Amino acid sequence: MTDASTIERPPPLQGSPTTRRTRRRLWFVAAVLVGALVFLLVEGLGSSLDYFDTVDQALAHRATLGTSTFRLEGVVVPGTIRRTAVGTNFTVSEGVEQVAVHNVGSPPELFQQNIPVVVVGHFSRVGSELFLSNQIMVKHSANYIAAHPGRVKAPNGSVR
Amino acid sequence: MSTSEKTVTVVRRPRWLRVVGALALVSTAATVWLGLWVTPPDAVQKNLVRLVYLHPPIAWVALYLAFGLSALASLLYLWRRTRSMFWDRLAASSVEVGVVFNALTLATGMIWGRPTWGVWWTWDARLTSTALLLVLFLGYLALRRVPVDPEVRARRCAVAALIAFVDVPIVHFSVIWWQTLHQGATVLNANLSPTIHGSMAWTLLLGFIALTLVFVWMVGVRYQIEVLADRTGAERLEVSLAERWAEGDLDSSTAGGNGHANGANGSPVRSPTRVGQ
Repeated sequence: MTDASTIERPPPLQGSPTTRRTRRRLWFVAAVLVGALVFLLVEGLGSSLDYFDTVDQALAHRATLGTSTFRLEGVVVPGTIRRTAVGTNFTVSEGVEQVAVHNVGSPPELFQQNIPVVVVGHFSRVGSELFLSNQIMVKHSANYIAAHPGRVKAPNGSVR
Repeated sequence: MSTSEKTVTVVRRPRWLRVVGALALVSTAATVWLGLWVTPPDAVQKNLVRLVYLHPPIAWVALYLAFGLSALASLLYLWRRTRSMFWDRLAASSVEVGVVFNALTLATGMIWGRPTWGVWWTWDARLTSTALLLVLFLGYLALRRVPVDPEVRARRCAVAALIAFVDVPIVHFSVIWWQTLHQGATVLNANLSPTIHGSMAWTLLLGFIALTLVFVWMVGVRYQIEVLADRTGAERLEVSLAERWAEGDLDSSTAGGNGHANGANGSPVRSPTRVGQ
């Protein structure tokens, strides 16, 4: 061991290595936060503050939409669902306005008539009323109503 | 060589906290029982509806209780008249629990979304703003771990909590301000008439109560840990300082005493930079 008096350390002041490292770390944290924020804004909110166009909106902007991909929302018209070799054909409506949808791929479990859906795809050509989609998302409501209880009982006793 | 004795502190939780814990357990069990066995399946969602007894109450705890409480506590810390470390510790405990519940909100939402919507995740306004909320409060927790003076940390974190809280009303109103895939509110909707009925409604209400109790219990326990961590942190600092002084004073043979009076091996005395563990 060396003489104790020779190893005198300067007191920590502003701008000491420790403080500087702390400050650098803080900047790093700030940079990560800002980065994450910008990423989420650009990736998420920027492209979809409104997640979809309704049938009315889409038909109104048919000229500008052209054949670009967007999300279309409407209620599945009863009696229009047809299974095809590659997927499902059906019509979505909003009041009187209707758009025919040709979807490739299997629809989700809850897909049924009279349920609002969001389909991802594009009009078949500029000005067309046929929508070609490759994804269906079911937009269920926030209403919860009991299914008729006890109407049909499975053999194991559970109510379906 | 000095050997520091290991002391085990037995902490007894306060009576009210134990009562809350028991109530939380009972009400959660009752919610599970009602939610899985007693309530009927939904007309549209069938058995998938049972997630309604879990997902909204979890989100309620994360957004309104946890982040709400942390914002309130941070405000009270920043306000000079009510400034005390109590508010800082409460805000920290609340955020930590809130982050867990925020992550659970996303997880249960994804589990619900896959079979109903057909997708695990999508970048609609509700989902995106909720994910952002998690990142913001994870940032708060990261900020707490930056080693600085406790007072500086408390002030810094209080400001951060208030900034992060701005996202909470955005999450809440996202389904009203923008068109989203996520459904609107069932209970706190525009005309405040819940669109859920009968035993389903009562079970949902119980779910809210149960998870609120779980939240209170978790924050209570977490707060206690924070107090203990501060205390042991301060004690340990004193022990290690005493050891350092003793080492420096070996030649003057006054080990363990007021060694810091002679500055031969002046290890600078600083306020505890980091407490915990």
